[in-house]
Amino acid sequence: MIPAPVRYARAADVHDALVLLAEPDARPLAGGQSLLPVMKLRIVRPSLVVDISRLDLRGVHIHNGELHLGALTTWDDLLRVEELRRPALSAITECAAAIGDLQVRNRGTVGGSIVHADPASDIPAVLLALRAAVKLRSPNGDRVIPLANFLVGPFTTALGAQELVTGIVLPIPEQGSGSAYVSLEHPASGFAVAGAAVLVGPSEERVIALTGLTGTAFVLPEGVDPARALESTEIFGDRFASTAYRRRLAVVLVERALERAARRAEEDR
Amino acid sequence: MNETLIGVARPRLDAPDKVTGATRFAADGHVHGLLHARPILSTEPHARIRRVDREAALSVPGVVAVLVATDLPLATSGSDRTAEPLAREEVVFSGQPVALVVAETEAAAEDGAEAVEVEYEALPAVVGLEAAMAPGAPLARLLEEAEGGGDLESIHAGVDEGEQEADEEQLSGNVVDTVNRRSGDVAAAFEASDAVVSGTFRTPWVYQAYIEPQVATAWLESSGTLVVSTSTQGSFVTRRELARAFDLPLERIRIVAEPLGGAFGGKFALIEPLVAGAALALRRPVRLVLTRRDDFQSTNPQSAQVTHLRVGARTDGTFTAIEARMLVDRGSNTGWGVEGITTQLVAGPYRWKAHDLRGYGVQTNRFTFGAYRAPGAPTAAFALETLLDELAGALGLDPIEMRLRNAVVEGDVGVSGNPFPTIGAVEVLERLRGHPLWHERGSLPPGEGVGMAAGYWPGGNEPAAAVCRVDADGTMTVVTSAADMSGVNTGFAVIAAAAFGLEPDKVRVVTADTATGPYAGASGGSKITYTVGKAVEGAARAARVKVLAAASQELEIAPDDLEVVDGVVRAIGAPDRSISVEEIAQKALRFGGRYEPIEGHAGSAQTAGAPSVAAHLAHVRVDRETGEVELLRHVIAQDVGRALNPALVEGQMRGGTTQGMGWALFEQLEHDESGHLLTSSFLDYAIPVADRVPEIDTLIVEVPAPDGPFGAKGIGEAPVVAAAPAIVNAVAAATGARMRELPLTPPRVWAALTGDAPRENP
Repeated sequence: MIPAPVRYARAADVHDALVLLAEPDARPLAGGQSLLPVMKLRIVRPSLVVDISRLDLRGVHIHNGELHLGALTTWDDLLRVEELRRPALSAITECAAAIGDLQVRNRGTVGGSIVHADPASDIPAVLLALRAAVKLRSPNGDRVIPLANFLVGPFTTALGAQELVTGIVLPIPEQGSGSAYVSLEHPASGFAVAGAAVLVGPSEERVIALTGLTGTAFVLPEGVDPARALESTEIFGDRFASTAYRRRLAVVLVERALERAARRAEEDR
Repeated sequence: MNETLIGVARPRLDAPDKVTGATRFAADGHVHGLLHARPILSTEPHARIRRVDREAALSVPGVVAVLVATDLPLATSGSDRTAEPLAREEVVFSGQPVALVVAETEAAAEDGAEAVEVEYEALPAVVGLEAAMAPGAPLARLLEEAEGGGDLESIHAGVDEGEQEADEEQLSGNVVDTVNRRSGDVAAAFEASDAVVSGTFRTPWVYQAYIEPQVATAWLESSGTLVVSTSTQGSFVTRRELARAFDLPLERIRIVAEPLGGAFGGKFALIEPLVAGAALALRRPVRLVLTRRDDFQSTNPQSAQVTHLRVGARTDGTFTAIEARMLVDRGSNTGWGVEGITTQLVAGPYRWKAHDLRGYGVQTNRFTFGAYRAPGAPTAAFALETLLDELAGALGLDPIEMRLRNAVVEGDVGVSGNPFPTIGAVEVLERLRGHPLWHERGSLPPGEGVGMAAGYWPGGNEPAAAVCRVDADGTMTVVTSAADMSGVNTGFAVIAAAAFGLEPDKVRVVTADTATGPYAGASGGSKITYTVGKAVEGAARAARVKVLAAASQELEIAPDDLEVVDGVVRAIGAPDRSISVEEIAQKALRFGGRYEPIEGHAGSAQTAGAPSVAAHLAHVRVDRETGEVELLRHVIAQDVGRALNPALVEGQMRGGTTQGMGWALFEQLEHDESGHLLTSSFLDYAIPVADRVPEIDTLIVEVPAPDGPFGAKGIGEAPVVAAAPAIVNAVAAATGARMRELPLTPPRVWAALTGDAPRENP
């Protein structure tokens, strides 16, 4: 459990990080909750680790009706900020509170989790339901792309070479909205066997996103019965949970998340 | 003697150091010139080793050697883990150590390990237990005949072997042991039954999941003595195994049992032969610390078992016949298995008119079977106790009442053919029946249920000795060679204090090495308090005789008229005529002193067993839509003989219950169809964590063991035995689903509730 030899550099600012990341096998290190384990197993062996953990990319703020989450915002940060204490954003804190243990929540970051793109990760479903987009920066400049386009496949994203995720942005849902996240965790890893995130609006319009079922988290098509939509979804199975089980479980979790989100929306009116 | 000290809750002697991180475990000791080892584990479940390419590894800076089996000075040709710490020509499970990289630093060893290439010629892997038994099945081991693996089974429990007879059945060469216990006319007894129920029960391989992975350090002293400092449950058994491995005289080996970071049956001389072999080959100190991944892959978990069981009873609940066919997966372990124990314990603490109990030990290409807390008992109790629950249902009887009608008492002859010694089965069941949860079971919300189950552990015996020594400051040192597991040292302290007449905080306990300590068996089989504790009691009494003799002269009072209370010898009835133990010790331990040192040595050779019975109530909630089972509350009643220290006793009861909960709900080591391990980290293998463990009520029942120290007996194993079936029975009470395969994962429960066929093991 000792990583292969690797060089280390601490980036002074985002520009510095991007310069360091010009090295082809360099990898940015934020909270270390995903990269370090795979480095210890020598599955990933970067030539250079660029420590971005002290960059000024941490924090939550609301601006022009949008919620901005800095890429280095930790799970524990999410549980402490006033900005998220509203029914419409409850799914975020509900998700963050159930991640790992206190040590993991103190280190793990939202940006790191999105970039890692584990197909069973919780937060992508939550952010998809909240119509989030990813803020990126590279030497070519800044771009913002919808999260759904950023997540390409298992452990695969649209992140370019020498590009960093700097944050997440999402529209604050209008008054009278509620969100919820419900999952069944694998008893060992704590990752989602299936997870359902839901945003219910004031006129009962809803966005449903799921994780743990396919290569990436995804949004169910609007206006279609969730059970029917899941019938035609190609869901993977493993030795712990079969495809049939996951499909049925997803329907149950969606129902529960809808019920909870609707109740929260009710509270917000 | 001061019996008022017994039964008082006290903190463990080792607690402050463990809580503050001051304890020095086996991986912590500084050894000059130490080399670090990394094992190369087989990636194939069954293969011939064609070639081990060491060149690249040897060119890594800091790498000292890459050792294969022929580099170790092994004395025997056997194929058990002692005789073959590295696979010779054939690997028989994925994870088996094939080579050892030894380097100046841990990092260099890791770099070297990455550079070693092993070429295998794959052989058919035997992974299915039932298929492995069929005549003509491929063999799990081709090249070598196995030799006996010593007497590790006898360490664990007072269990006879049953009859080992040639069976008429046609079986493959993978069946390395058969046991058959038979008495009475089983067919006629079933015929005369009013209800007969049967089922096939499956349990997976489970991992001991000790916090501290296996670790050992070996070096040679200038005298040539091989010293091994290790995390082990048994120093003398480790010494014996090393003597066998390298054909060394016992006096040339010294084993130091370091503070244990958990063991649960998994630490009986497993990696020590490998580490010692490397030190002997290189003549430098070598340390091997398994990573968690190594530990998952290469150690000795508890085996999978398949039990076909049938039981019958009369309408009044009287048990008639029991018939079992129990298949035990030995993995690569041909030396010992649990067929003897599991066929004995599948009958439970109950009377049967007739029985036919068969056990089969089967070698496969999975792991090396090893012991885990009450080996062979939980698997048996899962089958029996869930079937008895069904039987009670079929007969319309209260499950506790039905068990009480059949519970054994002292003198009843068990399926072992021997009469039961003192046993608290009736007392434990009565106590459990009185718990409010049992009476609330009929008025629970939908989706909730309460289940009960009972089980026992026969306890083990092994002669042991101990020394008690009083110093010039009036404190006492107890010396034994028993590894301090589950708080036994803290138990020794109170035994010695009570037997001698000293405050317990004036007693410290030292675990000696094999060169200096009195003999003790390994800490396993729930025998240490009962056997070594008995020797400690005797040694403290012997020391007391010395102090009384000296005090008698000092006070001019006959020894019979003196007592020792809280470190003071005083005249019975005239406490002002007294002298402190400290003063006497000072008079003895000096130049020209007049009294013998206040020291005692004593031994014990227990012959009567001291079984411990434990019964459980589990209260669960089942989510019918997801299949999730939540344990809401749990109650355990256990006969502990005499609770020397109730805090430690309750800790054992809670710990055993928690492990049983893990087996019931979470834990399974899994291989894929070709025999490769799928669960080699805690990301894949789930154990109970704090937020899933509910409140556990502990009901201590005391039926004194006639020969135990102050009536105490071994209690470590009994609490795990029937925890899982209580949970399974609670799920049945909540949902009607009778689950026959552990663990009860949500998908499995959901499948049972929706009528989907449960997935079978491959």
